[in-house]
Amino acid sequence: MVRFLLNRGGQALIAVFGVVTLVFFIQRLSGDPTALLLPETATQADIEAMRVTLGLDRPMIVQYFAFLGDLIRFDLGRSYVQNADVWDIISSRIPRTLQLAGGAMAVALLIGVPVGVIMALTRGRRISKALMWLILAFQSMPTFWSGITMILVFGVWLRWLPSSGTGTFAHLIMPSIALGLLSLATYARITRSAVLDELSKDYVRSARARGVETGRLVRHHLMRNSLIPIISITALELSQLLAGAVIVETVFAWPGLGLLTVQSIAARDFLVVQAIVLLGAFVTIFANVAADILYSAVDPRVRLAGKT
Amino acid sequence: MKHTMKGLLGAVAMIAFTLPAYAADITVDLAGEPSSLDPHLQWNPDSYYVYRNIFDNLLTRSNAGEIVPQIATSWTQLSETELELTIREGVTFHDGSSLTPEDVVFSVKRITDPEFGSPQLGQFNQITDAKVVDGNKVVLTTAGAYPALMAQLVKLSIVPQKVVEAMGKDAFNAAPVGSGPYKFNDWSRGVAVSLTRNDAYWGDAGPFDNATFRAVPDAATRVADLLAGTADLVVSIDADAGAQLSSNADVKLLSAPTERVGYMGLNLDKAPFNDLDMRKAASLAIDRLGITEGLLQAGEVPVSQMATPAHFGYSADLPLFDFDPEKAKQLTSAKADLAATPIELATAPVFDQRIVQAVQQMLNDVGFNVSISMTDMPTYLGIVRSEPSENSELSFGRWSCACQDADGIIYPTLHSDSAWSRVNLPEIDALLEEARVSLDPAVRQAAYDKVNEMVRENYYLLPMYQAAVLYGAAADLEFDPTANESMFLNRMSIVE
Repeated sequence: MVRFLLNRGGQALIAVFGVVTLVFFIQRLSGDPTALLLPETATQADIEAMRVTLGLDRPMIVQYFAFLGDLIRFDLGRSYVQNADVWDIISSRIPRTLQLAGGAMAVALLIGVPVGVIMALTRGRRISKALMWLILAFQSMPTFWSGITMILVFGVWLRWLPSSGTGTFAHLIMPSIALGLLSLATYARITRSAVLDELSKDYVRSARARGVETGRLVRHHLMRNSLIPIISITALELSQLLAGAVIVETVFAWPGLGLLTVQSIAARDFLVVQAIVLLGAFVTIFANVAADILYSAVDPRVRLAGKT
Repeated sequence: MKHTMKGLLGAVAMIAFTLPAYAADITVDLAGEPSSLDPHLQWNPDSYYVYRNIFDNLLTRSNAGEIVPQIATSWTQLSETELELTIREGVTFHDGSSLTPEDVVFSVKRITDPEFGSPQLGQFNQITDAKVVDGNKVVLTTAGAYPALMAQLVKLSIVPQKVVEAMGKDAFNAAPVGSGPYKFNDWSRGVAVSLTRNDAYWGDAGPFDNATFRAVPDAATRVADLLAGTADLVVSIDADAGAQLSSNADVKLLSAPTERVGYMGLNLDKAPFNDLDMRKAASLAIDRLGITEGLLQAGEVPVSQMATPAHFGYSADLPLFDFDPEKAKQLTSAKADLAATPIELATAPVFDQRIVQAVQQMLNDVGFNVSISMTDMPTYLGIVRSEPSENSELSFGRWSCACQDADGIIYPTLHSDSAWSRVNLPEIDALLEEARVSLDPAVRQAAYDKVNEMVRENYYLLPMYQAAVLYGAAADLEFDPTANESMFLNRMSIVE
């Protein structure tokens, strides 16, 4: 188990390093932020002076090693657009995105998994087909459209929920649903096929023959055995949620990392973008390692395989 | 006694009932959060919408566009390079300390210090010295005669020297202390900035107890907020959203022409626009009125020059450009090979692409060969400011100097010194330099009239329209949008 973890940790580090290097150079290939920082009337001399102030006049490789050096000391640098420490900016946004991702995950799991089970148990019947249509609709709706439609219906016409912003639990409802819909559809479909898979197995037939009622069968036998694909998809969905948050947060003015990403890219706020990508890579890699560990908790055979 | 008591109770009841109507708060939805609340740092609308309410400026502009006193009560030009300003007495900062002439000098020196690295340095670097004289006056010295100085001082916010020095740059930016009609209350990063009324303000403090400026990046969401009643004023909306507002009685659409000019930049060193006939044909092909009234519909006005009626230096008598696609076709067919030269039209996502596409269509209809090249803003800026050989043949641009003086718009777009200019003519350079240093308004106006006429006759670039700015507001909010796109809370009011 220790070797397994070390191995995974080493791979993760290499991946993080690769991501950081790529982002550093790709961003700088795309242009220079000084022109955006200065008013339109700035002269070429003003621009050059600002580049020196920001250290952007140094050769790129020097900038890169300076950046790596700071990173090793956990110094993410300072945003010259927002005039604040990058870590302060990012850390104030992390809880907001976690709230949103948590809300979306709750929507996806609490609705998606039961819907998947129902679809599996009612396979071939009209209700299953109707649910499948609904799920497909959820999966096909672009988030920016479903988001703005919800704002119009529940925020402007019915006035049940605040149209945008943050602060109360009510603010969280619409963005969570908008962000969770896509994952909900994925969960429902994965659960359906996993449960169908199990349903065709001998032990289910025996249990049914013994007279075990459906509710008990689902809770005690089917769910646990169908969990593996659901867990592995959760690791993927988590990074999906972070990506989806970019759009949902923009539509709902939800001040999380996604919104920060959009604003920072538009403003060429290199250091903030780098830090967000670093964090994203870290979360994705960590979620995958966590999923591996969870498998072994759910299915002892995975743990045995890891030992050999 | 009884009557008094009754009257008193009645008065209390009346106050109690009427109070909620007056004890109003305002919520403003901006497109982004302020980059900075330190007025000497970042300078963009989302920032100055907020900090201009926290700070007073040395001078200001009335809603009609006149330069009027604010912290300076009067001023005299001592010599070509010296301006003496009398500083208002009895003004206090939000921490209770008095605003002194020393604070004014400190503010000037702070923003003009290259070490400080203000993005606004270019607007104030003509000022070489500032000193206090006679106890209540400040004398500003400029590098040479500088007629646009007053227009720039409208944007110079006064900060308290002691507070800034004690707090340091970062802490001051995070919790600014000014002397303006509203006090800083809280800045929740990424969410909102909230202000409270400064009841000790020397002037009119305005009708709102509290003001909240929120960052709402999606325009459709800003409009939804206004319709839902959770925002009272929203910025940066387009005519389509405006149409949505005009059908609702609870909200209204406000529009004002700005000092921003939309124009097509031409590369005079490359075919086809190195040829006068081709430039003329391009101008004849563009239906400016069609763009403003058919496409933009937000109150834009066609212009005949790189200035608007909001600028000093505007030539009021210069006739508008003709729109005559038939004549344009004659010109292009006479030189069909030249007209068929591939033309790259540079643009960036921040611009209204409908205009760019319409111009492309209009030019291609008369025989040009235009393709649109859309890049992100920094790349676009790199292209339009590069050497003529690397520059695109055609570019869309919008220009504002926020100074309402032709010097800030005609000089950078037409003088050979400027990276933006594609024009290299000694005669235009000489006129622009004359206008830049003369303190005689008549001399300056005459120089700009001449330049505007030359540009119109030779089509050195193609001015198209004076841009308008649209706001959505709650029906009971009185707000007069101005050409310089400022948003002073103390000039707003609430109607019953």
